[in-house]
Amino acid sequence: MLTKRVIACLDVDGGRVVKGVRFEGMREAGDPVERARRYCEQGVDEIVLLDITATRQSRDAALDTVAEVSAAIDIPLTAGGGVRTLDDARLYLAAGADKVAINSAAFADPSLIGRCAAQFGSQCVVVSIDVLWVRTRHEVATHGGSLQHARDALEWGREAQARGAGEVLLTSIDRDGTRSGFDLPLIASFANALRLPLVASGGAHDASSFADAFLAGADAALGASIFHTGDCSIAGVKQHCALQGLEMRR
Amino acid sequence: MPIHLYDARAFYERNGMTGRPRIAVVALGASNHATMCNALTRAGAQPVACRSADELDGADAVVIPGVANVAFLIDSIDANALRAPLLDAISRGLPALGVCAGFQVCFEACDEAPNRTTLGLFSGRVRAMDAPKLPHMGWNRVESTVPAFTSGWAYFAHSFAAPPGGAATIAVTRHGAVFASASRRDNVLGLQFHPERSGAFGAAILRAFVEDAGRRC
Repeated sequence: MLTKRVIACLDVDGGRVVKGVRFEGMREAGDPVERARRYCEQGVDEIVLLDITATRQSRDAALDTVAEVSAAIDIPLTAGGGVRTLDDARLYLAAGADKVAINSAAFADPSLIGRCAAQFGSQCVVVSIDVLWVRTRHEVATHGGSLQHARDALEWGREAQARGAGEVLLTSIDRDGTRSGFDLPLIASFANALRLPLVASGGAHDASSFADAFLAGADAALGASIFHTGDCSIAGVKQHCALQGLEMRR
Repeated sequence: MPIHLYDARAFYERNGMTGRPRIAVVALGASNHATMCNALTRAGAQPVACRSADELDGADAVVIPGVANVAFLIDSIDANALRAPLLDAISRGLPALGVCAGFQVCFEACDEAPNRTTLGLFSGRVRAMDAPKLPHMGWNRVESTVPAFTSGWAYFAHSFAAPPGGAATIAVTRHGAVFASASRRDNVLGLQFHPERSGAFGAAILRAFVEDAGRRC
């Protein structure tokens, strides 16, 4: 049976891991290769590496980091940040990514999803959706949360699926870095409406918050700061989830 | 679960095998080619990117890696005039490994590549999977159906799969239906999962493949 995945996320800036709260106030959190290797040894199921600066200037540094992290692990690596074109996606794959996350550029031109899927297969295309709660609904934000759009997040998720996405990485900006638990209603709404695998992100707090995300319908759940600080161990998360009857790779 | 990134280069040095097996890794624009090359290097091989028939000359084995749309992959193989040299080398006994889309392209036909004839190294057609969640993404059990193969946890990422059964199937996995997660026919090994991303289980499979190729060099 397919297991639930525990994912460690490395937000990188200039070759270093950083982590903020609600996408702001970034603080350094270590060396990406050393972190990836350690999480891999602890049994994490996948690594997500995001170049949060996502600028043309940072591109080469981000690709170097992807290459170094990729060579250090023997589990899947999703990489993203600043992917604007098919060739950008190809560069990440050539550096050592197994899946590519696309966000702002896909929102601006959704045809990018289908064009990537036509070459790399749907399973390679992770559409990353950052959402904010606005009055009565979850809306899409892009460009690292700095641009808000009056578009219902789930509606965008449905379009991404229809255009050939292979996975949705769903981040609640409201919960990001706050350790207040994942946004369970948001996860449930996506899990119920979409056929795609769903990665929940934003708000990881402790082992039970991961189990809550899985029980709400997430196929994978992602943590960053709780793993970086060592407040929560990957083995501990998996053990707790297994005790809740969830299928985990041990 | 500790994962040790076993480096088989020491094995070759200890056993006085000077030349590490040269493995041609098909690299035609799509695929996680870099990841596969890293894993093959750890398994003791010397991977070389294969973009034309020239790079097949002198290779001790060939790998068709995954992370591609199968239609794009077979079209790329044809556009680079690789189909005949590949089939010729494999028919002469060159060990071959197809992974994920690279496994699917080894069948006679695939739903992801309509109106195309694929390599036909395995009989049958790869079909769109039928499951509530697709793609089949993540870690699942590979259950060996023959003594010569092993069972374990492996990483999958695909929406198409070959039906199980037939003499070639050596392992199966369930997602929705049961499908062939590994097949072998003579010198051709096909894996629906990603051995290069499947921890110790995948590394052991690659090591065995490389050691087999090493006997030829």
